[in-house]
Amino acid sequence: MPALSALPALSELPELFRAPSPPLPEPADALAAGLPAALTPAAAALSSAALLSACGGGGSSDTTPASPPPAPTPPPTPTAAPTDAQAARFLAQAGFAALPADIAAVKTNGYAAWLDTQLAMPVTDGHYDWMVAKGYAVEANRNSFAGLDNTLWRKLMTAPDTLRQRVVLALSEIFVISMNGLPVQWPGFVGAAYLDMLEQNAFGTYRALLEGVTLSTGMGVYLNMRGNQKEDTKTGRVPDENYAREVMQLMSIGLVQLNADGSAKVGSDGKPLETYTQTQITDLARVFTGWDYGAATSTTDPAYVRKPMANIAARFSTGAKRVLDVDIPASADGPAAMKTALDTLASHANVGPFLGRQLIQRLVTSNPSAAYVARVSAVWANNGAGVRGDLKAVIRAVLLDTEARSAATTPSSGKLREPVQRLLQWGRSFGVTSATEAWNIGDTSNPATRLGQSPLRSGSVFNFFRPGYVPPGSALGSSGITAPEFQLCNESTVAGYLNFLQTAIASGIGEVKPSYTAELALATDAPALVASLALRLGGGGISAITESTVATAIATISAATDAGKLNRVQAAILMLMACPEYLIQK
Amino acid sequence: MKLNKLPQLQRREFLRRASALGVAGTAAPWALSLAGIGEAAAATAPGDYKALVCVFLYGGNDYGNTLIPYDSASYTAYAGIRQSLAISRDALAATALPVAAGGRQMALAPQLGKLKSLWDAGTLAVQLNVGTLVQPTTLAQYKAQSVPLPPKLFSHNDQQSTWQASSPEGATSGWGGRIGDLFLNSNATSTFTCINVSGNAVFMAGRQAAQYQVSTNGAVAVNGITKPLFGSQACATALRSLITADRSHWMEAELNRVVRRSVDAQVTLGAALAGLPALGTAFGTASLSAQLQMVAKLIAARQSLGAARQVYFVSIGGFDLHDLLVAQHPLLLTQVNDALASFYAATVELGVAQQVTTFTASDFGRTLTSNGDGSDHGWGSHHFVMGGAVKGGRFYGTLPSVSVNGPDDVGQGRLLPTTSVDQLAATLATWMGVPATDLPTVLPQIGNYTTRDLGYFT
Repeated sequence: MPALSALPALSELPELFRAPSPPLPEPADALAAGLPAALTPAAAALSSAALLSACGGGGSSDTTPASPPPAPTPPPTPTAAPTDAQAARFLAQAGFAALPADIAAVKTNGYAAWLDTQLAMPVTDGHYDWMVAKGYAVEANRNSFAGLDNTLWRKLMTAPDTLRQRVVLALSEIFVISMNGLPVQWPGFVGAAYLDMLEQNAFGTYRALLEGVTLSTGMGVYLNMRGNQKEDTKTGRVPDENYAREVMQLMSIGLVQLNADGSAKVGSDGKPLETYTQTQITDLARVFTGWDYGAATSTTDPAYVRKPMANIAARFSTGAKRVLDVDIPASADGPAAMKTALDTLASHANVGPFLGRQLIQRLVTSNPSAAYVARVSAVWANNGAGVRGDLKAVIRAVLLDTEARSAATTPSSGKLREPVQRLLQWGRSFGVTSATEAWNIGDTSNPATRLGQSPLRSGSVFNFFRPGYVPPGSALGSSGITAPEFQLCNESTVAGYLNFLQTAIASGIGEVKPSYTAELALATDAPALVASLALRLGGGGISAITESTVATAIATISAATDAGKLNRVQAAILMLMACPEYLIQK
Repeated sequence: MKLNKLPQLQRREFLRRASALGVAGTAAPWALSLAGIGEAAAATAPGDYKALVCVFLYGGNDYGNTLIPYDSASYTAYAGIRQSLAISRDALAATALPVAAGGRQMALAPQLGKLKSLWDAGTLAVQLNVGTLVQPTTLAQYKAQSVPLPPKLFSHNDQQSTWQASSPEGATSGWGGRIGDLFLNSNATSTFTCINVSGNAVFMAGRQAAQYQVSTNGAVAVNGITKPLFGSQACATALRSLITADRSHWMEAELNRVVRRSVDAQVTLGAALAGLPALGTAFGTASLSAQLQMVAKLIAARQSLGAARQVYFVSIGGFDLHDLLVAQHPLLLTQVNDALASFYAATVELGVAQQVTTFTASDFGRTLTSNGDGSDHGWGSHHFVMGGAVKGGRFYGTLPSVSVNGPDDVGQGRLLPTTSVDQLAATLATWMGVPATDLPTVLPQIGNYTTRDLGYFT
């Protein structure tokens, strides 16, 4: 990878061999300087434990040059409490919005305490149950997604376990199923059950999550493991390879062997070492045979879609199998073979850096340093109590890392806020309510008139955007800076977003309405109004110059009337949520 | 025509505009990219017009049920391998193509009747077994891994990227965009060189050329800057400034660059499209038809846009049919059939049929074997090339054997390509007017092939 200071001319060779996870070196002094990190002692202990386990956690390869050891984590200095801006910045990473009560809680108790409170919150008010309670489980909806967008928006906009909602949204973009591709009866309930499964597993272990995903009806239908049958030598039929391939490429180990810091291991020819071969996929596909619905299907009651899939012995491919380098004996039945396969994938050294880096990208920044990835990988390998893949610990490590908590300083730092995240921030910041409690926001996928993105509506299992997406052109492309969310950014979607947002700010989205009571109280003081909004929306990322531009502009609107005050508030929100300092979350 | 051979006048004009736009002030080499300043690449009068249109079939099209073996022996082999996936031979009678060399006969899928008519009229050709390669590769070489192979075969995202850009995910320019690079200064407004009516695709990004994205309803205006914002012109003005200003942070700069292009191009495009008479050719309402209808409208507006050479990209998804192949593949092919036929008719209506060439592409082909309900990821596949300039009604390339573990099979009927994407691309680029000496800049691996023109064009 080129260093930040070097901008090589475009050439083909680096494209051919670019590793998917190019960590960018961060200036050491930027990492060490100005770390607020009011970490609790518990978090500090976790951090130390993580460091201890880092040495053995990443695996190694004799054929590859050792990656540089991760930079030591500077000891957190539990001194100053977070500022308002720092608290707001943290809350936009760990949730969707910075509400005054949360800002106050973070300032008083620190980042880790806020996380602990959130991590302790129970899963409540599930998607499936809500859809049943709201009467969606009727024959007329048997072949529709009716209710699924509603319950998605309901919880994303209002559920109190905002950290879980944020992580579930992230997981739904890694363990992707989509309403574009669930050709099955009761598809809305299949999606709801899948979301409930993600909520149940979001703060558990990766191994349990992987099993929940694998045996869900949603994934079974989406990637075709449901109904997958053993080979038939008479007809030449062979097992479906789809889930075997994608669970490895996207949901566990990825395509190339990784060091703990996310960099690719390379062979003697200088090329990245691949993790598996086509032959290994074909063999793993045999493990994933024999699975079907976990209960009898019904045209009147969707409850069966909640059950994990079950194995039908007669359809299971007999004989010995091999998953990566682990043998599965011929004596193993379907569930036993599945257990070995998932154990093998979950214990692979790639999982921590591969998925840890993606969680960092979803929550914090598009281009984490190698050291940051290595620290998260280490926690993935061992939570400090000997548990691998403890997602609670991983989420803490991602959000409490010094790199997450330090103000970003390089010209490639941060990430483009994804469109759904922007809408959720608006909704939560201004307390949207649904008078009908139906949350009729609907599908926001239209790129020209809405967001160009809608939860659980990716175009494929490859998500709305890829972790390795590099925007062509510009400094990002010529430096190989990954910026996943830019895959959704084009001349139509930038305009579509601004227009959709403007209408939402002014009129709500259908019956989903915002409230600007607190903002209207500030409207006569344009600079104060803008400062308050900029703090909560931008978390310190919006400059004084921009605040001044916005304040000057809205001050031209008379605040003598209620209508004028409202115009000031709405114009300020739109300008702030349109400006690049906001849209690039740093 | 390469940028580094810009005539002196254009170079001066470029620098003047770069300076006027303030990009030089950021003192960064990338800021001098022509793509960053749109029309700075404006150049001389266009003489003729040509457009290349890529129709990408996302998910990996099933070649086995797109072009089906039809002579008795081949059909029997096909049906034996495909089992429940096989299309009945009777259903293929109407779309059977004339007997090819060696006595083999193929049929188009029953849903491709309109493409059959274009074949009969000599304006549609089939490129057989084309796929991603680094160099010509034999089965023995593949098995021995004795020659370089495309990285990450059978992986959707990487093979999409390799088809479009000659390298896996993370590539930053594709061959459509690199063709565009060479013609930026043939077009009055360089923004309209590479136009995407689908989502972002690396195919359309050049080293200088940026893809311009337009919706099926045309360019989208930003309401907040076109009229007073919440009653305030000052707010509309401030909003425009915030979303279009140059930024030093790289992501902010990229974002505002896109917004600037959006705002600027919408004004030009909106006016150009508004002045057009309605197309007489009917298009369907499915997405691919709507996308190609917009391409036809943009081509109709070529003179007011000052366009001489354009590359377009449209797409249709859903081809990854591991399940439900028999039910869903015909629905997708129907959309392809309708959209391509309408588009060709529109080019005839516009009098540009000879000047527009359309081709299909996809992640990869699929297995010939069945998994019971569908097929799996493969490699080589068959594709269409359509246009008035195409010597149609014929096959190009080599018809693969219908067999498992046959001479073209790397496993389960995954075809080892006998023609490379680079060769197909070179043929299309040459038709567009790319000189032979510039082919390596468009296709870095083209030097590995002696045949660089597959002969599609008269």
